[in-house]
Amino acid sequence: MATNIPANLKYTKEHEWALVEGDTVTVGITDFAQSALGDIVFLEVPAVGTDLKIGSTFGVVESIKSVSDLYAPITGEVVGKNTDLEGSPEKINEDAYGSWLIKVKVKDASELNNLLTAEQYQEFCNSSH
Amino acid sequence: MTTLKTYLYDEHVKLGGKIVPFAGWDMPVQYSSVKDEVLAVRNNVGVFDVSHMGEFFVEGEDAEAFVDGLVTNDIQNAPMGKAIYSPLCRENGTVIDDLIVYKLAPGHVLVCVNAGNIDKDFAWFKSKHTGFKCNLTNRSNDYSLLAIQGPKAFEILKPLLKDLPEIEYYSVHETAFENNPVIVARTGYTGEDGFEVFGTHEGTKALWQKLMSVGVTPCGLAARDVLRLEVCYPLYGHELNDEVNPYDAGLGWTVKGAKTNFIGKEALAPKKANYKLVKLILEKGIPREGYPVLNSKNEPIGVITSGTMSVVLNKGIAFARIQIDKAPSDEVFMVDIRQKPYPAQLTKKPFVTGGHK
Repeated sequence: MATNIPANLKYTKEHEWALVEGDTVTVGITDFAQSALGDIVFLEVPAVGTDLKIGSTFGVVESIKSVSDLYAPITGEVVGKNTDLEGSPEKINEDAYGSWLIKVKVKDASELNNLLTAEQYQEFCNSSH
Repeated sequence: MTTLKTYLYDEHVKLGGKIVPFAGWDMPVQYSSVKDEVLAVRNNVGVFDVSHMGEFFVEGEDAEAFVDGLVTNDIQNAPMGKAIYSPLCRENGTVIDDLIVYKLAPGHVLVCVNAGNIDKDFAWFKSKHTGFKCNLTNRSNDYSLLAIQGPKAFEILKPLLKDLPEIEYYSVHETAFENNPVIVARTGYTGEDGFEVFGTHEGTKALWQKLMSVGVTPCGLAARDVLRLEVCYPLYGHELNDEVNPYDAGLGWTVKGAKTNFIGKEALAPKKANYKLVKLILEKGIPREGYPVLNSKNEPIGVITSGTMSVVLNKGIAFARIQIDKAPSDEVFMVDIRQKPYPAQLTKKPFVTGGHK
């Protein structure tokens, strides 16, 4: 499957992308994920102020046919939520990397080492699908 | 488990169809977008490869009588050329499958069954066949099947076939595509006008390619499921299964108690439903199979059997199986979506009115 994997982002094996800027990580789902899900029709993400734990589910994304959990790429507090997606989650299908979901203030920077590079994620996508 | 592939598998891959396992088959779930595919069928025309479905032929002087004794609906008295939808029941009234019986000609009956039930159904047919003067053959491997659905289906299909008269809804006609014999029925699973075309593998492949060349939208299983749920058609394994009877699934109209005899007649004579199948529509949230259904006091009273986001309404829609003694008299229901109750409105009509003839 041809897929778009920007080099400046980090990735999880659950198909989230993470943009690391200082102690803040912006989180979305990858182009590979949006393509696999198909038409996205519903999104549920936590409110600002919510504490997330790395690897735990923090919300759901639903396409017409399926429900998928979202997994926190990092431990920390939600400090931003993309309200543009409320009512129009299909924007994720149109632009997966422009449609961020939440911003998280990093609690433990060493956890960033768990994230995959673009190259590692590409390899992961190739090997698992 | 190895999965089976329809004769059109390579065509689906070529078109970029996403392939998923379904009822033992590798089937295309969608090509471009479920939304676009649903809307193509509602407004224009789409085609589904449903070659995984099963075909049994019953031929001989007792053909109609044999099939009539197996199913709850009335085959014997239906006119030649009709298609008849019916549950196939056990003696205790539970549903083995739901199927369509096509009366092709006197002593010549085609039965189309669900892909996942082919072996179960054929074993049942065979076990009840003794004493009838007719041959029973499972020709599921010999036939491919396309469903061409949508308001423009007739207009698209007519010039391609040797002849296609304006047959009535739920009627069948034998003709040819190029030199390949086809059985064409004005049936389908979308609520729209359309045709199901049974044919040889090669002939069906040629027809599929022809349909692609004239701009018919290829549609996958996901669109098929949304379409059938929008018009409230039940699906075996969801609304129907080995444990429920036709009344439990709102199919009482298919049980013809006046028939002399059929398997399950005695058990179904009290018209007793253990469940009520209801249709729910949600302003917010998407109901999914398995989600609990609650009454206004938040007590569990049933479960969602099929649920999705309606493309046409842009709202969550579902079938729910409610325990009959707990069916609330008021019309307030809740669906438990990830431990949060979402209000659901009961509706008596289909969510979307299809345009079938």
